[in-house]
Amino acid sequence: MKREISGIVAAAALAVLAQTGGAAAQACSVNVGVVYPTSIDWGKPIAATTLWVADMVNEAGGVDGCKVETTLRDDQNDAKVGVDAAKALVDISKVRLLIGTVASGITIPILTSVSVPAGTMQISCCSSTTRLTALAAEGATKGLWFRTFATSRVQGSVAAMAAKDAGYKKVAVFYKNDDWGQDLGKLAAAAFRASGIEVTAQIAISDGQPGYRAEVTQALAGKPDAVYLALYPKEGISVVREWLSLGGTNKMIGANSLKSDDFRNTVGVQHLANFIGTDTSTPRTDSAKGFVAAYTAKFGKPPAGPGLPNSFDATAIALLAYSAAGKDATGAQIAAKVPMVTDPKGEKANGDVEGFKKALGLLKQGKAVSFQGATGALVFDKNGDVSAPAVLWTFGANGIDEKRYIPLEDVEAFIAALK
Amino acid sequence: MIGVISYLVFFATMAGILAIVVLGLNLQWGYTGLFNGGVAAFFGAGAYVTMLLGGRPEPGQFGGFLAPFPVAIVGGILFAGLIAWFFGVLTLRLRHDYLAIATFGVAIALESVARNAEWLTGGAKGLRGFPRPLEATITALGGGDNFLYGLFFLALVLAVLAAVYVGLERLTRSPYGRALRAIREDEAAARSLGKNPVRLRLESFVIGSMIMGAAGGLYVAFYAYVGPQDLAPILTFQVWAMLIVGGAGNNRGAVLGAFLIWAAWTASGFALAALAPQAMQLYTGPIQYILIGSVIVGMLLWRPQGILPEQIRQQGRN
Repeated sequence: MKREISGIVAAAALAVLAQTGGAAAQACSVNVGVVYPTSIDWGKPIAATTLWVADMVNEAGGVDGCKVETTLRDDQNDAKVGVDAAKALVDISKVRLLIGTVASGITIPILTSVSVPAGTMQISCCSSTTRLTALAAEGATKGLWFRTFATSRVQGSVAAMAAKDAGYKKVAVFYKNDDWGQDLGKLAAAAFRASGIEVTAQIAISDGQPGYRAEVTQALAGKPDAVYLALYPKEGISVVREWLSLGGTNKMIGANSLKSDDFRNTVGVQHLANFIGTDTSTPRTDSAKGFVAAYTAKFGKPPAGPGLPNSFDATAIALLAYSAAGKDATGAQIAAKVPMVTDPKGEKANGDVEGFKKALGLLKQGKAVSFQGATGALVFDKNGDVSAPAVLWTFGANGIDEKRYIPLEDVEAFIAALK
Repeated sequence: MIGVISYLVFFATMAGILAIVVLGLNLQWGYTGLFNGGVAAFFGAGAYVTMLLGGRPEPGQFGGFLAPFPVAIVGGILFAGLIAWFFGVLTLRLRHDYLAIATFGVAIALESVARNAEWLTGGAKGLRGFPRPLEATITALGGGDNFLYGLFFLALVLAVLAAVYVGLERLTRSPYGRALRAIREDEAAARSLGKNPVRLRLESFVIGSMIMGAAGGLYVAFYAYVGPQDLAPILTFQVWAMLIVGGAGNNRGAVLGAFLIWAAWTASGFALAALAPQAMQLYTGPIQYILIGSVIVGMLLWRPQGILPEQIRQQGRN
């Protein structure tokens, strides 16, 4: 009898111990640094998406059983401020995973003078410059760098594909005068020429001008039968208004940055009947539709700004890789687990709480996962870049309609044929 | 702990570089009364030329001559001086707000060049890859850890800062400095005493701009990157805030202002990120702007002469 009692006591003690053990596991946390331009209108939703993913991962059990504690810093679109914020996160908060940022002019110095020297993994939703590919190719990023923004090459090429299919012969190119726009404008112009389409003008559009009459007049002089727009909604609206009012064609091809209700409503949908948009996401997959639905439910409006699905995927993939590498992993160890999260042969897991639960469980058992993100099933190449299937879209009566889906293989084949 | 020290070293390096810029502006505004609204232009000119001369070559890109760091930074300083001289000759007859607008225009023009002259400046993607002075040697000494190099670079920046400070103190306490102040206070009176205001103003403008160029050169070596964003008007604003808070016409005030404002700028972000509840995290960016603005407005109201105001001595101490 006495032995029995002591047995029960021991069992109870064990149970208590086990429970405290469990509580301790939940009480642990991993710090993740986030640097985004939160004080800028389009930057805030990008950051909000990242925090939302972290919440979902926490709900699904957290990174390796630990709560994800995000520290969000504003880079103010100023390299000094952004690099300082990243340095504080890495040195003081000891983060081994850094998510950010948008402007390549800030991402590059953070990467080269903070993340890489400290061995921190860095992933960005939106930095687009080809310079980052060059950096990775020469080994300066030590495999610590990833981005979920498909390089502009895909979009530039698909624009040419759309123009060719529509039978356009002469195209004028407007591009936003920043690193993203210069890259995309140049790549698109090269793709147009390679497909036998004449590029009548390549015109830079700088931000914040009251009007763009001079630029538009210059483009009209070449008498193009279509116009290509690598612009953000704000300048896009001004340029397109002037363009149409001066008698420019309404045959337009636009980059994914114009996928915005603002642009659609302000220009007027009746003027956008012949507008073809390009994008690199794969709205075919259930996960992408799931993202739109979940985002709309969470924020009360559809994801209509640049970089939101990319921000979603960057955070999700990084946190899953962190979990696979374990809560004490170094940046390099987290980076090494990224292929395990994006393994095309792995079991599919969606970007919702259920999907994260499933993915976290599989990763814990050492099994590979194919994460089905908001931009589809991403795979990073050796430079941390993603290629992606493409989609052509239009402005319909009730929003944005998909026109044509171009699978990854077709995109790659078209790009190969251009060379 | 080592992390905190490593961060503080990083912080002090950036603050030191900014302090050098503020000293340059102090010579122009604090002593000579020249309203330079284009600080970013001269900083950027020094930065870009240092990068072009000392950077690594890259295919399809002008520059990357791999000049030793001292040569590269001297090139940057001279170029900053050259454009200051060129625009100075054109604009220095302008006073106060007119000069401010003209120099602001120079900064915008140079930013435009940096953003568009892709063959020269890399365009919007900027220029990167700068072999930092003695990096390999010192990192090897530190056993491959780059903390020691951080310390060395801080020492380098502080040495330049000290040299500029001592040089300016001597300059401004000399009869030359008194002549500059005389022009600032009353140009007609200075001219009646045989001083040549146009020449002195130009000299002060060029020297101050060269100091800013030197800071630009150090900045490039520190970040190993320069892009058009580094020439944005926000830098001019930050430097002016530092000088006004620290105390125009006082070199110690200029240095103090640089460290204080940069600390406020970064610490407010750090504190907000650390203290704000999770739900408020998204709004810390705009709140930080409000805080920084309030500090500057508060200083202007409470102590418009700056923390360390100018001290006019009847007789120089030396």
